[in-house]
Amino acid sequence: MNQLLRRLVLVLLTVVALAGCASSSGSAPTTSGLNDQSGSGPYQGIGMDPARPRPSFTLSDQSGSTFDFATRTRGHPTLLFFGYTRCPDICPATMADISLALKKLPAALQKRTYVVFVSTDVRHDTARVLRKWLASFAAGGRASFVGLRGSRAQIDAAQAAAHIFLAEDGGQTHSAQVLLYGADDYARVSFVYNNTAEQREIEHDLPLVAR
Amino acid sequence: MRTPRPAAIGALAVGLLGAAGLIRATVPVAVPAAASSSAPIVVSEAYVRQPTPPTDAAAAYFTITNTTDRADRLDSVVSGAGASTMLHTSGMQMNMAGVTIPAHGRLVLSTGKGHVMIEHLFGVLRPGQSVNFDLSFASAGTITVVAPVIAPGNPAPRIGGGP
Repeated sequence: MNQLLRRLVLVLLTVVALAGCASSSGSAPTTSGLNDQSGSGPYQGIGMDPARPRPSFTLSDQSGSTFDFATRTRGHPTLLFFGYTRCPDICPATMADISLALKKLPAALQKRTYVVFVSTDVRHDTARVLRKWLASFAAGGRASFVGLRGSRAQIDAAQAAAHIFLAEDGGQTHSAQVLLYGADDYARVSFVYNNTAEQREIEHDLPLVAR
Repeated sequence: MRTPRPAAIGALAVGLLGAAGLIRATVPVAVPAAASSSAPIVVSEAYVRQPTPPTDAAAAYFTITNTTDRADRLDSVVSGAGASTMLHTSGMQMNMAGVTIPAHGRLVLSTGKGHVMIEHLFGVLRPGQSVNFDLSFASAGTITVVAPVIAPGNPAPRIGGGP
């Protein structure tokens, strides 16, 4: 059943990825990810083929400063997640998984890692709210937790740049996908909350992309 | 919040019962194993995810099993832990008319796939505490469920009642 679910998620994500690429170019068709029998390769998370380059967007961080995502995180292992703080469900569960997984990794690796949470709730997630909310997850670890906010148009653009489906309902319906960008500035694996599995997947996969 | 107020299941729950007695400091985890009961409706694997400040809302999860040959309907969920309690099913749509649990069917609330949202909490919820819920069914009547508070990132109670 788990296996089936994973496969379904993989297929769905691939479909989303394909849809995102549909308008890009008229180049010759390449092998479809749907036919890829290699699963997630070396990763325990959901493998992404083709890999997605680190996106560019500039938003405001939890201290009110400008944060240029591509420039600031370049070369760093980076977990990128879109959600909102008033979500009592998948958002804190996912952020806690990230937080707990990171704490099991070597301190030097944690220090190089960025966790970037982009708020889809442009009305309620102020810098102060983001600061307080992220503090719970950053506590006890060495990674840099960054909370980003902006106008609805800016947040939509950031989601589009990351090939994440756009949040709706004032940001309450949003993608559950966590993208992991490696030191080479590509995301080859992503994660979706699955009770305790996500923590183990992140713990396993992050060191692989940090090299 | 875009929440349509009247949509709250049966104005679901005003904390009329008050916080008194509905939040406990101990964890009497009276979670019945799904198979080992002759009750018409069995509620199991209940828990509440501890909210992350400054968030003033908490999500509760449980599995409802209808052991009878006739469908039943969950009409309301009430908890004394917050000013309002409502059912959010997948897609975060509010459920207004109650939820039908088919004969020998199950309703499973789990992360990302539906939860009971407790809003405007009366107090801080911490692991080790538990929250009581009264679930009202059209046929089976009212069932009280004790849901332990679990820290985010910690595993949910497993189906079958295991640790």
